[in-house]
Amino acid sequence: MRRWLLGVVCAALAAAAPIAVRTATPQAADRLDAMIVDGDIGRSGGTLVVAARAEPKTFNPIAALDIPSRDVIWRMQADLIHINRETQRAEPALARSWTVSPDGLHFVLSLRRGVRFSDGHPFDADDVVFSFSAYLDERLHAAQRDLLLVGGKPIAVRKIDAMTIGVDLPGPYAAAERLFDSIAILPRHRLEATWKAGTLGDAWGLGTAPAEIAGLGPFRLERFRPGEDIVLARNANYWKQDRAHTPLPYLAQLTFAVVPSEDAQVVRLRAGELDVLNRVSSQHAATLDRDQASAPYVLRDLGPGLEYHFLFFNQNDPVPAAVRGKQAWFGDERFRRAISLAIDRASLVRLAYNGRGTPIWGHVTPGNRLWANTAIPRPPASASAALALLTQAGFKRGADGTLADAHGTAVAFSILVAAGNAALNDMAAIIQDDLRKIGITVQIAALDFSAVLSRVLESHDYDACLLRLVDGDADPTPEMNVWLSNGPTHLWHPLQARPATDWEAEIDTLMRQQMTTLDAAARRRLFDRVQAIAADKLPLVPLVSPNIIVAAKRTLGNFRPAVLDHYTLWNVEQLFWRAPEGRR
Amino acid sequence: MNVRSTALCSLFLRRVLRAGAELVAVSLLVFAVTTIAPGDPFSDVRLEQQVSADTIAALRRAEGLDRPFLVRYAQWLRSAAHGDLGRSIAYRSPIAPLVARRAVNSLTLVAAALVVTWALVLPLGVWTAARDRATDGRIVASGASALIAVPDLLIAIALVVVAARSGLLPTGGLRTAGAADQAGVAALVDRVRHSLLPVLALTLIAGPPLFRHVRASMLDALRAPYLLAAAARGIPYRRRLWRLALRAAANPLVSLFGLSFAALFSASMMVEVVMSWPGLGPLLLDAVRTRDEQLIAAGVMLATLLLIVGNGCADVLLRSVDPRISM
Amino acid sequence: MTRLLGPAIGVAAVYALVLAAPFVAPYDPTTQHRDRPLAPPTRVHVIDRDGRLHPRPFVYAEDISGATHAYPLRFFARSSDDSAVGRGSRHLFGVDAPAEVFVFGTDTLGRDQLSRLLYGGRISLGVGLLATALALGAGLVLGCIAGFVGGWTDAAVMAASDVFMALPWLYLLLALRAALPLDVAPARALASIVIVIGIAGWARPARLVRGVVLSVRGRDFVAAASASGASPARVLRSHVAPEVFSVALTQASILIPQYTLAEITLSFFGIGIGEPTPSWGSMMGVMLRQELTLAHWWLAAPAAALIGVSLLYHATADALQRRSLAVGVSR
Repeated sequence: MRRWLLGVVCAALAAAAPIAVRTATPQAADRLDAMIVDGDIGRSGGTLVVAARAEPKTFNPIAALDIPSRDVIWRMQADLIHINRETQRAEPALARSWTVSPDGLHFVLSLRRGVRFSDGHPFDADDVVFSFSAYLDERLHAAQRDLLLVGGKPIAVRKIDAMTIGVDLPGPYAAAERLFDSIAILPRHRLEATWKAGTLGDAWGLGTAPAEIAGLGPFRLERFRPGEDIVLARNANYWKQDRAHTPLPYLAQLTFAVVPSEDAQVVRLRAGELDVLNRVSSQHAATLDRDQASAPYVLRDLGPGLEYHFLFFNQNDPVPAAVRGKQAWFGDERFRRAISLAIDRASLVRLAYNGRGTPIWGHVTPGNRLWANTAIPRPPASASAALALLTQAGFKRGADGTLADAHGTAVAFSILVAAGNAALNDMAAIIQDDLRKIGITVQIAALDFSAVLSRVLESHDYDACLLRLVDGDADPTPEMNVWLSNGPTHLWHPLQARPATDWEAEIDTLMRQQMTTLDAAARRRLFDRVQAIAADKLPLVPLVSPNIIVAAKRTLGNFRPAVLDHYTLWNVEQLFWRAPEGRR
Repeated sequence: MNVRSTALCSLFLRRVLRAGAELVAVSLLVFAVTTIAPGDPFSDVRLEQQVSADTIAALRRAEGLDRPFLVRYAQWLRSAAHGDLGRSIAYRSPIAPLVARRAVNSLTLVAAALVVTWALVLPLGVWTAARDRATDGRIVASGASALIAVPDLLIAIALVVVAARSGLLPTGGLRTAGAADQAGVAALVDRVRHSLLPVLALTLIAGPPLFRHVRASMLDALRAPYLLAAAARGIPYRRRLWRLALRAAANPLVSLFGLSFAALFSASMMVEVVMSWPGLGPLLLDAVRTRDEQLIAAGVMLATLLLIVGNGCADVLLRSVDPRISM
Repeated sequence: MTRLLGPAIGVAAVYALVLAAPFVAPYDPTTQHRDRPLAPPTRVHVIDRDGRLHPRPFVYAEDISGATHAYPLRFFARSSDDSAVGRGSRHLFGVDAPAEVFVFGTDTLGRDQLSRLLYGGRISLGVGLLATALALGAGLVLGCIAGFVGGWTDAAVMAASDVFMALPWLYLLLALRAALPLDVAPARALASIVIVIGIAGWARPARLVRGVVLSVRGRDFVAAASASGASPARVLRSHVAPEVFSVALTQASILIPQYTLAEITLSFFGIGIGEPTPSWGSMMGVMLRQELTLAHWWLAAPAAALIGVSLLYHATADALQRRSLAVGVSR
């Protein structure tokens, strides 16, 4: 009897002991609440060498405006809620879970426990509050500030306790979770003093000692050699693990090698000096594809991404005199539709992209699985149908074949295109030839990119322009500035005081509605309508969406490229070398 | 002798003054062109759909881009006079550290190419001039002509392709990317291997025109009557060729030296871009693309300074070598 | 004399060919044969598959039914090109539809390379010649003035030449092009390119000429001539001019192909003559894609043309220089 009682007491004590131990040792409370990532179980070690088009300009997330900087920074930083590039949906990151109020205006995020920065300092809600204060600070002019505005007013971030954050939105916002992606959480212990001194925008420049830069991402900065390479080393404090509870990342080192020209990148890939090419143009894809069977690399063609190439006409008011005369043509939607009918998209894909592209008639590409409106009409190219429309609009074809308007002026205009992009320039030549077949004379003006943008957005001194846009996210809201009539990137007529046409007014209403509608199906219908209007009125004439093509060494494990940026390194923490001869 | 050295000194001083004036002129031109050309460092960001026009305008104001041209130029000039090379808008940092490392890289490349080119071109030029009638002399001359005809860019690209296909030499960069830090001799060997291709490219680009000039100068010098007299006096051929004729050809050759430095420097800008050599070339190209005006000015100034120094040395050398030229 | 005649005739022949481009070229340079991109050079046969010798060279092609026939080349034939420009004009040679004769193959958009070479040559070679004339003229004048007058003028000219040689012209042109009006008519664009290249290039000839003038002035016989009362103009004409002439000749032989190259470089970067006018530069832009060129070797035709023309120039210049040399000293 006593033995039984003794047994129970021992069992009770044994059960109580861990609790006692836990409260007695404070370090146990900091045990890492790791995020478990699905994927192949890999082996630790090795180096990955990735090609970078240019060197980064800064390591500061607030100041980074260019893509090479962001590519490097995002391997060293992390955000609260992250959009999984493969599923295109939001998932927990530094915030392990969150609740939303019924009206969608108040979020409460629970932060992951036991996380430390790359320099060992613990992470808590103070870092989050500090980061958002910095991003929203008007003196810093951070690009992220505009992302955190809803209806023109900033969101409010407050600390509830050491591991809980409250976020209050000034108005309903449909894709609120997606706000947090690409907002890097900065280390308060490193940057608060600089912020108070007002020099945070210039901090963490290229000359900064690596030990000064701390982040929550899979890697930390080890060494930077100007113009040559950027070497990142594994962050021993990273908070993700694989299913076997091995701490990620697998790779010990990640190197970005600065190789400015794509030809050189392809050469170095074939020579084995590079392991990953993040973007391969269609021109090079053919040769890399052909030699794939015997080569150590594998080429992956992911199909259309979120990029779309289009032609648009100057509809600004006021506009330089030379353009004004032609706006009578550009403003007529039958003219624009005729141009769209005259252009042979199949040839564009075949000749300018070697077949590695998709013709599009709407600006949301098939690569955006969640939002593309598949009901948009896709009329095949037809010069006769184009001419019929033009005749309807009052144009006449002369004896020598030249098209003239109702006043007898020959239809001729110039297309502005950015020099240096071979595919765009080839497209321009094909379009020029297509339009010549219906009697329109086109002159191609190739200028460098800055100049093109300056003419389109500032001086409005151009006739038509061939341009490309990449949607940053699958969600429609980020592209508001293109579709709102008062948007700065409403390319054909930016920053309108009042919508110039009623269809632009309709798009304004629809876009604003979808931004605040929380019901997913309703949003879908609203955005489908926007796409239908855009495809009918053709302020932008969508042409082609080039395929996303990447290349990597065959022995790279967990290589699952996606069509959202960063195509190849979005899951860099999971990448590993399969064979022992992979990399050192 | 004394008169000569004071004359040389005053020449040197005048050159320095002139160099200063040239630098100011160059910087003014660069600023003017950058201002006329539409676009600014924030052009790329303008197209980013989520950044508002207000943010961009605020950024422009913060960097002083809305001030008039002369104000911006005057301020830059003042700071440059104090040695501060200005601030890069794209890098958000002072320019001097950005440029220093790259300038050294460019200089090492150009210096190495200069040595190699002259070591090849001088003997070849003299030799083919002497053997002008013989077949081998003419073959070398035709080879040089053929190389001149090939566009520089193609030479550089062809070399990269050959290196890649053969695997003999690394195809670009300063050293092997991602390799662990190598010590001493191994590092040196790695650096030398990586510099072989760009130096070869520069030699093939700048060498042949230089060779033609050397050969032409030597041919000119070789027809002087006093050489016939020297032959009659029994002075051996080698002596006539290398001591007498070459001396006479020294005048144009020395000015060619300065010009070859200029040619190599401008060719190196292109070679650096093609072969990813981290010198001033890629930095300058990128700066022009982003209209980072202070960085462009600093880069061009540095290049100009090097060129002026090169030409200046050549001029001084010319006068000290050829006493017939008055100061 | 024979050594000069060969290359000189070659250069003249090249210029004649490109001037007669509308006649020599079988196709319009802008017509896109979209079903035949990157087509290899068409094989022209004289002996057919059965072993018979044909009086006229011919090409094989498939007709609509898929059967292969021999289509003979027509000389001095009327164009079957249905573009508005080419209709009805006579060409040196051509072939009836559906056959095609692409002597140098086609490019990525299916345009006949030979036609583009010929039409493009007008631009590239023309610019080279005109720009050299401009640069050399300016360089000669300024170099002579600098060398002759000396003093402050000399210093000013040399300073200006330093500035001009130091500027990275390509980069600045890239920026400047953007400031120019957009639909510049081809003729005006051509003229502006010539002027730009010429202006950028006077510096080096000026320096070399000045060096020569300085050394000639310093020579004893020139001093003697001045002392005995010869006017500066006479000194210039009788003593300086011949020396300068040989320098100018060497310069010209190098500069003409070099300025052709400069135009090509500008077109390469997209700031030369815009489409649809072809130029060797825009054609060579494709060669930047090395893999494409290695797989389709005929895309290197403009480079080969440029090298060939340059070699002809250099041979001409060499022969000219030899003629102006006095008896050389040899072993």
